[in-house]
Amino acid sequence: MSKPIPSSNGTTYTICVFTENTIGLLNKITILFSRRRINIESLTVSETERKGVSRFTIVIQHEIREEVEKLVRQIRKTIEVLTVFGYLNEEVIYNEIAMFKISTLSGAKPLDIEVINKIYKAWVVFWGLDYVVIEKTGSINEIFDFFNYIKPYGILEFVRSGRVAVSKSSKSLTDYLPEAEWEYYL
Amino acid sequence: MDLKEQQGADVSFNSDSQDYTVQTPEQVVLNGSHAVIRSLLAEGVETIFGYPGGAIMPVYDAIYDYQDKISHILVRHEQGAGHAAEGYARLSGKVGVCLVTSGPGATNLVTAIADAIIDSTPMVCIIGQVAKHLLGTDAFQETDVMGVTMPITKWNYQITSADEVPGIMAKAFYIAKSGRPGPVLIDITKNAQNEMMSGPFEYKPCSSMVSYRPRLVPKQEQLEKAAALINSAKKPFLFVGHGVQISGAEEILLKFLQKTGIPCASTLLGLSSVAVDHPLYMGWLGMHGNYGTNVLTNQCDLIIGVGLRFDDRVTGDVSRYAKQAKIVHIEIDPAEIDKIVKADAPVVGDAKAALEMLLPLVEPASHTEWVAEFAKYAEMEDRLITQPELSANSEKIKMAEVIRGLSDKTEGQAVVVADVGQHQMMTARYYQFKHPNSFITSGGLGTMGYALPAAFGAKVGDPERDVYAFIGDGCFQMTIQELGTIAQSGLPVKIIILNNNFLGMVRQWQQLFHEKRYSFVELQNPDFITIAKGFGIDGHTCVKREDLSQSLDKLIASDKPYVLEVLVEKEENVFPMVPSGACVSDIRLQ
Repeated sequence: MSKPIPSSNGTTYTICVFTENTIGLLNKITILFSRRRINIESLTVSETERKGVSRFTIVIQHEIREEVEKLVRQIRKTIEVLTVFGYLNEEVIYNEIAMFKISTLSGAKPLDIEVINKIYKAWVVFWGLDYVVIEKTGSINEIFDFFNYIKPYGILEFVRSGRVAVSKSSKSLTDYLPEAEWEYYL
Repeated sequence: MDLKEQQGADVSFNSDSQDYTVQTPEQVVLNGSHAVIRSLLAEGVETIFGYPGGAIMPVYDAIYDYQDKISHILVRHEQGAGHAAEGYARLSGKVGVCLVTSGPGATNLVTAIADAIIDSTPMVCIIGQVAKHLLGTDAFQETDVMGVTMPITKWNYQITSADEVPGIMAKAFYIAKSGRPGPVLIDITKNAQNEMMSGPFEYKPCSSMVSYRPRLVPKQEQLEKAAALINSAKKPFLFVGHGVQISGAEEILLKFLQKTGIPCASTLLGLSSVAVDHPLYMGWLGMHGNYGTNVLTNQCDLIIGVGLRFDDRVTGDVSRYAKQAKIVHIEIDPAEIDKIVKADAPVVGDAKAALEMLLPLVEPASHTEWVAEFAKYAEMEDRLITQPELSANSEKIKMAEVIRGLSDKTEGQAVVVADVGQHQMMTARYYQFKHPNSFITSGGLGTMGYALPAAFGAKVGDPERDVYAFIGDGCFQMTIQELGTIAQSGLPVKIIILNNNFLGMVRQWQQLFHEKRYSFVELQNPDFITIAKGFGIDGHTCVKREDLSQSLDKLIASDKPYVLEVLVEKEENVFPMVPSGACVSDIRLQ
């Protein structure tokens, strides 16, 4: 049985939040989602090209665009948040990274490295005594295509990073601050 | 000052208490606690409402040196400190300051913080915390106050070193009072209170932040769009929200009303911004608001909302709320725009600035016929509800008579604080406000027990004005211990208990919507006057209608705090009423 892609409930939105780097801010942002009963599909945080500015990439699914806009405005209101953008999938370039730990115990089906590399664009990043770790970058669909391919070999562990995304706009962070796209009335 | 001089300063270190005590407050290098107080002084803070305890003791030790410069009021429960600070802030327009200890001190303050955020009240709460090295160890009186208060503060921050104090305090005050005001919580670990700053204390007030830029001046194109809608409207209706009072827009609002001839109505927290006898004031809005204002909300062609958030108690069923009308929404908090009601012309900015800029863009007009439409509803409400309430011949006194009695005797000039429930709605209905900034109540959170400490805080905030609190018998028992605070201060706060031996509003709902199944709403009350006297506050009970006028005179005349208990009709209902989930135009007169 092939692994289903996580079920889609409404439209996927990627919310990018630029913040100061302070303790507890992750908490201040995520409680805005939980209070409105919006489930976070994935969340990543890292420092941007600007020192002291962190970037959250949060993926949610929602049926009502207005509710997502309201959420974005509530995040924007949080002190220490510099700016927030909400994007549809077609408005961003996005990817995830996945790692697969695959058993190579004697007697197991041998891995076809050529197929893994050339067809699936995945790479073995670690050779253990009785397992390998394969890294695969791509969209969720690509990752799950590979998942279904590799599954018969015996998956010991599987992890996805969650989405990272950059907008298709040619602006830099400097251009975004202080203007935010969805804040048309600001 | 060089290092030698710093070391030579008269600083003693007591290893038992782990307290640094700075002997001379004027010296330049301070410990964190002195830095806290010096920051408060630099912000012009005159009054702190607080309660000491283990984790805040170094700050309390520092206050001891500044008693001539800053007044500390010892409350009887931290919730009282919070509501007192709110009442103080609401009347004075200044930031209310609370000082409490960690753990239970902080959690007792939580209700007041939640109240302050929903009613946009500026407050800085300074909370003691266990020392940094004990954080996360379940130390004595350790609570994760940062975690607890994240959703209910405009901003919170944990200070763990003395050097952070002046910068963070400056940010705290700036955030609390600017934009849409709100509560800020500063959690200070005990080591930060005790340790010396590494350099001289310097205080620079904060006036801007990269990650917080409230828009005060609205955009011209938004104003022009709003003006176009206003100028073409045939039946415009202006809603006065709390933002009018917060921004001090009362005067410019009157000019705006005069020029445009637009009738207005008030939200609960907007009450008193426009005098009840103003020819364009039509009453108040919402669940227990006036008849005409609610019905005509669904007939007007334009709503101009000024500094309000279209709370569900105002809108009733949103899907049937003013669907025929265009909406101009003037509001400082962009997150409020389109949150409940979709705005056709949002104007993000300070209410006063927005009205000032809008005034030259609107054309002089009068809407005589439209204004006259309110009159027939007002007449009906007066005949069917107001007059019967005020001229009752029931055995027991009615709440309305007490409130209107005080209103007449004070000529609508007093500061009135109402607690939460039937008496709150009755106060809003029957006190005839004629002076701006005169009504203080817990609107958004509906916090029972708010009025007694808030009235006290209001009196501290403006001792020149007369402050009266209308409190129900249920509410009174929630913060009754603050009678001790009031007695100790000696300030003449006037308290009127409207006692019906019931949790009246819940009982009303049980009568109307739960087939009179009165589930736990009847109270066996103590003798309130004996209790007041036990605290050293004089008072008396009024039972008969013929004694009411004299009783109110006695309350008014007192130059000390005074408690007047009035035994009122037991099963009285507040009408008109928009039942929960109904549409505003389906407002019931009985």
